[in-house]
Amino acid sequence: MQIDLQHQPSQAMAHVVLLPGESVTAESGAMVGMTPNVQLTTGSGGLLKGLKRLFGGESFFRNTFTASHGSEVGEVYLAATLPGDLVVLDVGLSKYYLQSSAYVASTPGVDVDTKVGGFKTFFAGEGLFVLKTTGQGKVIAGAFGAIEEVQVRGEYIVDTGHLVAWEDSLQFRITKAADGWIASWLSGEGLVCHFSGQGTLWMQTRNPSEYGQELGRHLPARES
Amino acid sequence: MNHEIAQGPSFAVLKVGLQRNDVLTAEAGSMVSRFPRVKMRTRLNAPRGAGFFGSLGAFFTALIRKFVAGESIMVNDFTCEEGGEVTLAPTFSGNIALKRLKGDRVLLTRGSFLASSGDLQLKMRWGGLRGLLAREGLFFLEVSGTGDLFYTSYGGTLEVPVNGTLTVDTGHIVAFDPSLDFRIRTPGGGFLGLVASGEGLVVEFSGRGTVVLQSRNVSSLTSWLTPRLP
Repeated sequence: MQIDLQHQPSQAMAHVVLLPGESVTAESGAMVGMTPNVQLTTGSGGLLKGLKRLFGGESFFRNTFTASHGSEVGEVYLAATLPGDLVVLDVGLSKYYLQSSAYVASTPGVDVDTKVGGFKTFFAGEGLFVLKTTGQGKVIAGAFGAIEEVQVRGEYIVDTGHLVAWEDSLQFRITKAADGWIASWLSGEGLVCHFSGQGTLWMQTRNPSEYGQELGRHLPARES
Repeated sequence: MNHEIAQGPSFAVLKVGLQRNDVLTAEAGSMVSRFPRVKMRTRLNAPRGAGFFGSLGAFFTALIRKFVAGESIMVNDFTCEEGGEVTLAPTFSGNIALKRLKGDRVLLTRGSFLASSGDLQLKMRWGGLRGLLAREGLFFLEVSGTGDLFYTSYGGTLEVPVNGTLTVDTGHIVAFDPSLDFRIRTPGGGFLGLVASGEGLVVEFSGRGTVVLQSRNVSSLTSWLTPRLP
C-alpha cells in the first residue's frame, strides 16, 4: 500500500494505491473517487463499536475499500469535509490519540477505538471525543486549516477546538482555560487540553465549532 | 516581543514570543495554544475608569463595541515573565497582517482586529450617515498610538496604494488610512447596475493613502449559503 498526499495544505486529498487484495477503511463520505476494480463494503465492525462511534460524533458505518485479486492495483482518493491539511501517522511503535472528527481513514492492521469512558473525554461542548489507535499500520487524520506540528518537551496547552492528534507518550487532561468557570467562559477559550511529557502533537489552525457558530450568526434561523 | 505569521494566506496563525514586560492583547477566543507559563488574564474590551461607575462605563463601552464594531466583549492579555510562546488564529480562513503604528492612525472594519501590543488606543469612529447605507461601514475601529497591530482578513490580504480614486466593494475592505476620504455610491450602470450587477453598494476612496482589501467576502458566502439551507 502506498499513500501520498496531494493539494496540501489548503485542500488536501489522500491518494491510496492498493495492491491486489489490500484494503483501506475510511470514514463514511470520505471517498472522492476510485478505480473500478475497487470494491466498497459498508460495515460497523460490530453494533457496539458503531454505537460508540455514533456517540462520539462520528458515523455509525465505515466503508472499506478493497482492491480485487488480479494483476491491477486499485486506487482510492480520500478527503475530509472541511478545507485543510491531512497527516499520515505510522501506528506501531507509536500509538496516537485522535480528536474524533479528525479521523479520515486507516489501514486494516490498525484498531481505532472510541474512548467514551471517563470524565475527561466526555466534554461535548467542543465535541472532544478521543479515538485511540493500536496495532500496526497507518492512520490518515484531517484538519480544518493547516497543521502545526509541535514537539512537546515538558508542558503545553492547546484549545480543544484546535486538536488533531497526539502521541500517547503525552499525558493529557482537559481543564478550564482560566482559573474559574466564569473567567474561562468570558475568555472565549472554554476548555483547553493540558499536555505534559515528551511527544509530538498536531494542531489545526482553525476551530470548526467556532467557525460554525460565527457562520451561523450570519444565516437565517431554521424554520421548524 | 518577536512574532511569526505562518501558514498564510489560507489558514494563517500568529505565533508570538513573549519576554518580561511584554503584553499581547488578543480577541477573546483566538488562542490556539500556549506554554502553561504564559499567563492569560481576561478583561473588558474597554479602558476602565475608577470605582463602580468606571467599571459600569467600561462594561457599556465593551457592549457597544461588541454590537456595533463586531469585536468581542472581553479581550485576553497574555504575559510571560520567564519567556514563552502563544499562538493565535482568527475564525475564518484567511491571512494575518501586521501594521506597525508610530503615532499614526488606521481604521479597521468590523471583525478585522486580532491582537495588539504596545501603547495603542482603540476607539470606535462613527462612519457618518453615508455609512448607514453600507452594511459594514457604520462604525470603524480607529487604532492610534505606538505599537504593533495584527489584523485579519477573510481570504488573502491586498495592500492597495491610492493616489486619486479607488472603487471597492464594501464587503472587501479590511483597513484604510484615515487620510483618505470616502463616499458610498452605486456601482454605476444606473438602476440595473444597482440591482443586477451583484455588487451592491461600493465605496469610493479618494486622496492619498493605503487601502487593505480581502480577497473574499463573508456576506457573499452567507448569501450564497442561505437559499441552499434546508
